[in-house]
Amino acid sequence: MVIAKEFDYQRPTTLEEATQILAGHPGSARVLAGGTDLVAWLRDDAVAPDLVVDIKAIPDLHDIKIDGDTLHLGSLVTFSDLINSPIVSEHAPLLAEMAETVASTGIRNRATLVGNICSAVPSCDAGPVLLGYDTTVHMIGPDGTRSIDINDWFVGLRETACAGDEIVSHLTMKVPVHGGVYVKLMRYAGEDLAQAAVGIVAYPGDEYRVAFGAVAPTPIRSTRIEDALRSKPLDEKLIAEVVAMVADEISPIDDIRATAAYRTRICEVMLERGLPAARERLDGTGPAYGTRLI
Amino acid sequence: MTTTFPFEAETDSDQLKTVGTGAVRIDGVDKISGAAEFVDDIDFGPGLLHAAIVESPHAYARIVSIDTTEAEEAKGVVRVVTGEDFPYKFGMYMEDRYIFAQDHVRFVGEQVAGVIARSHRQAVQAAKLIKVEYEVLEPLLDPKSAVAEDANLIHPDLDDYAHVPWFFPKADTNIAHWRKIRKGDTEKAFAEADFVLEDTYTVPRYAHCAIEPHVTVSRLDHADRLTVWTASQSPHTQRHLFAEALAPLGFTHKDVRVITPYVGGGFGGKAGVSMEILGAAMATLVKGRPVKLRFTREQEFYNTYQRQGVVAELKVGVMNDGTITAVDHKLFWDAGAYVEYGANVVNAAGLSATGPYRVPNISNDSLCIYTNLPPGGPYRGFGYSEFHFGLESHMDRIAEAIGMDPVDFRRKNAIQEGDELSYGAHMNPSGMIEAIDKVAAAIEWGVEEETDNPNTVMSKGIACFWKAPAMPPNASSASFLKFNEDGSLNITVSGMELGQGYLTVMAQIASEILTVPVEKIRVETPDTDRNPYEWQTVASHVTWSSGLAVEKAAIEARAKIFDVIHQVYGFEDESLYLENEAVRCSTDPEFVKPLRDFVIDGIQTEEGTWRGGPIIASGKFMPEFTNANSDPETGQGGHPNVHYTVGCTGVVTEIDRDTGRVWVRKAALAVDAGRAINPDLVKGQIVGGLVQGLATVLYEDMRFDEDGKLLNPNFTDYKIPTAFDIPDEVVPIIVEVPQPDGPFGARGVGEHTMIAAAPVIANAVYNAFGTRIKSMPVTQEKIAMALLEKGSG
Amino acid sequence: MEFTVKVNGERWDIDAAPADVLLDVLREKIGVKSPKIGCERGDCGSCTILLDGKTVRSCLVLAVEVDGQEITTVEGIGYEGLSQLQDLFISNNAFQCGFCAPAIVLSATELLDSNPNPTRHDVQEALAGNLCRCTGYEPIIEAVLAAAEGGAK
Repeated sequence: MVIAKEFDYQRPTTLEEATQILAGHPGSARVLAGGTDLVAWLRDDAVAPDLVVDIKAIPDLHDIKIDGDTLHLGSLVTFSDLINSPIVSEHAPLLAEMAETVASTGIRNRATLVGNICSAVPSCDAGPVLLGYDTTVHMIGPDGTRSIDINDWFVGLRETACAGDEIVSHLTMKVPVHGGVYVKLMRYAGEDLAQAAVGIVAYPGDEYRVAFGAVAPTPIRSTRIEDALRSKPLDEKLIAEVVAMVADEISPIDDIRATAAYRTRICEVMLERGLPAARERLDGTGPAYGTRLI
Repeated sequence: MTTTFPFEAETDSDQLKTVGTGAVRIDGVDKISGAAEFVDDIDFGPGLLHAAIVESPHAYARIVSIDTTEAEEAKGVVRVVTGEDFPYKFGMYMEDRYIFAQDHVRFVGEQVAGVIARSHRQAVQAAKLIKVEYEVLEPLLDPKSAVAEDANLIHPDLDDYAHVPWFFPKADTNIAHWRKIRKGDTEKAFAEADFVLEDTYTVPRYAHCAIEPHVTVSRLDHADRLTVWTASQSPHTQRHLFAEALAPLGFTHKDVRVITPYVGGGFGGKAGVSMEILGAAMATLVKGRPVKLRFTREQEFYNTYQRQGVVAELKVGVMNDGTITAVDHKLFWDAGAYVEYGANVVNAAGLSATGPYRVPNISNDSLCIYTNLPPGGPYRGFGYSEFHFGLESHMDRIAEAIGMDPVDFRRKNAIQEGDELSYGAHMNPSGMIEAIDKVAAAIEWGVEEETDNPNTVMSKGIACFWKAPAMPPNASSASFLKFNEDGSLNITVSGMELGQGYLTVMAQIASEILTVPVEKIRVETPDTDRNPYEWQTVASHVTWSSGLAVEKAAIEARAKIFDVIHQVYGFEDESLYLENEAVRCSTDPEFVKPLRDFVIDGIQTEEGTWRGGPIIASGKFMPEFTNANSDPETGQGGHPNVHYTVGCTGVVTEIDRDTGRVWVRKAALAVDAGRAINPDLVKGQIVGGLVQGLATVLYEDMRFDEDGKLLNPNFTDYKIPTAFDIPDEVVPIIVEVPQPDGPFGARGVGEHTMIAAAPVIANAVYNAFGTRIKSMPVTQEKIAMALLEKGSG
Repeated sequence: MEFTVKVNGERWDIDAAPADVLLDVLREKIGVKSPKIGCERGDCGSCTILLDGKTVRSCLVLAVEVDGQEITTVEGIGYEGLSQLQDLFISNNAFQCGFCAPAIVLSATELLDSNPNPTRHDVQEALAGNLCRCTGYEPIIEAVLAAAEGGAK
């Protein structure tokens, strides 16, 4: 539908200017990056801001950099950037594997990783993957900069720790040697939102991170499953043991995309298939990144 | 075979030059360069006004009041419209609709009011200001509860509605039409059968999802002529219905003009009249100003036609040798709030619900039931896809029960030329058995496939299909043909180029007879003022029917050409023939007269005078052997269908036993095209139709909440296939058992290719796991949960 | 708001409201009609354009966002004569109704620009955001693969 409500538009060229503009319009301004969520919401009348603040003219926000084992991702990095970045494919190919499941090229050329976690829908693909790393979200607001752990980012359904007058500048992620998988249940092979998803990162020393998407109001980590896996050889028995824990770790709902029962069932299947794949990728074996496990 | 055809087409197939070749489409450059103009692409200048529609949020309610004051005063608003402005009924086969709702709304999304404004944004803003007060009533949301004895009547005045003579509404019920077939003695046959299988299958509603939404621009000019540009499959039928519905305003057919440029996909959804009448009616209130109404994707889902849901109760009796002796098929259709078009889907299904088999004893009941869901209507397959799901699932189950191979079982019962049909007429020539054999061979039926994936199981499935065009018995086609100075041709017809390649096929037919190459033939989309009549582009009938009209026009043009030659040179007509755009003579091999030399200017005689002049011709076709009159209690006595097209579909699938995901590794589809005028285009229909059909079984369906509101009116949650969601390989197989009255033997194939897709998957799932899923869609979730239950149970 | 954009090589100075979506401005103010209105929420891909060489959904871009950028549509691709890819779309019957075709040509063009030797999977990936209800995609995939074999753009 046509965007029924009119609004003003500003395009600041520095983060500081952007935060000042936001501070001047408390509660009535929205930040625009890729726009693939925001413009759709404007069309649906789901949001009705008086002002849209386009941050795409701000330099440096497209950066993808590696410093030691710390990966820096600017807030305008798109999913296509993740897929095409040699740095990402060398240091964190899991991000590209995840990005390839997001919508389609025409959306990925525009939609940003940071926008995905700012929209914070339960099915956001970035969530279960970023939760697999030591990820920090860096923001700037009227009172200066602030950094928070990704584990504290998702506050509720479509709610994050970012205040209305703050803008995310970038993410940093610790990317030591690791292997990961992102397994996503979709209704068919083509573009779809996740009906359920699992992100798994395996680190040396039988250390794992396990997170789920679309089975709770926010992406969720399962520290109980991580604890159960810790320091034990990953064999069939251990996998069966943690698969049996899945139902208690997630709280899926019945909706148009899937029933809770099917979501639970497939989370079990995804964990069962994903754990060995993550482990094998850590060892340099295993299926190539991008191979779909379900 | 008892039917005789008055017009036997030219089918000397050995010498065909253009027919039977994969001629390049004549609309290709238009469509690939961006030049192709669709309705929404036409510029109407600064006077263009925009319309927005106010819709009912309730499935069933009485309209208490409508307050338009605030909207009328809103910025940019030119006119606000409500039901009071147009208290007129209309409908295709039964007049049960109003343009805007009158005293009641009967589905969520029904149009209650409209706003015409200077910009689209202003129209949408103003529409939000219209306040409608409703008294909410209890809706009926499924056909079984709507036929319960004490059910509310959705249309209490049903008995007063005008309708075609082959409909049988039941007054004081919600049954708008009940098509009955009674043939032989089913009771006796079931009693004597060696095996009887009875079960119920359910099919939900589906959306067409043409990528182009419905859009219409209408203008009443200052001379009171109403022109409607519309994305439609049915320009002449639209003109007729607009003229009839708006007759109280003084319109006649001459005053109404419908122009239909390229259409961005139809699939039945743009047949008849749905939202277009809103635009046409609204424009009559703002004389001189064109009004554009373009439906949003959401409206496209909930307020154009939907494919109807059905509950199918099927009972089939067989003998141990595999002979089918009796079929009892009861189809309870969820036809929606208005059935002016959908009731004919019900009718068509009822006539043919035995499927493509020889069945001596038949009892079919096809009930068109009003519900408080959006209007059902035509959708590629026209009822056949729906009943084939149960029927072809049933055939596999019976074959297994009597220990027969499902391919052998189908071969044994396959309908053949001359077999008696359910309504007493006889079957046309049919390549049913050839289709079955070729599909079975293509998928290596009986050979087990292997996979090295430990999570998946390979299996195969097979299913047959048939379908006849569903049309009024006298539905007609016509064509005009004229030569140009250079010997090129312009042909006007009123079938629609929906993507199937119709324009190209018409050009090929004319090319074959007149030897003018396809590249020198222009066939344009219709304008009802200029193009001759066509009933509609539906029912897979235009290749056959409009093709015959073009063939006749070309033959007439050829006769006129020969007549000119005869007048000037004295050759007998019988000695003349066309070759490479020139007239030749069998008695004088030296004689060559290029068409371009005389088809406009004529030929000068030795005296210096001229003979001939512009060669123009016309052709028309109306089937003269059809008859929709039959006994309402038995369906016997008429000849409602012109012919059936048959075929067979087979798949090789790989299915994940944990997730339920189905990959179609290979599909083969054979369809009896009679003669493929353009085999490449037939293959296009095979691949495209098959993929559309597979989607209806694997993931698509319309979901409504308990209040009758559609939950997935968008592509986010109504999933249609992407480039990833296709079979790894499709083997298109064209069978050609000629249709005696078809142009060069052709009959239609457009709808047929999706009809067997649903049961073929259900059968493959069964063959993989022994689990029979009897409700569509057969989603990965349904498969996985059924397997989980089976495993743990 | 005023902004400047290059469309198929021509410079346009446009005045549009911030709430005006790029797709509508292209069609109504610039008169480029090949990007189509199909779903208006980024699902169908028929509004695809090339923005600085990359496919984007013009239904999800505000017109004012593209100030200073370059847009290419299928009218621009074929201006000097159809590309080999376009010719192959025609000879392969890689379209039916033609409504989604301009967008699909752009998605395939973007793919072949960055990956002259795509696999079938690569082609499917590149086209997965463009819904086509008619063809079943197979002839489109074949046309793009044929263009790749032909070494064309």
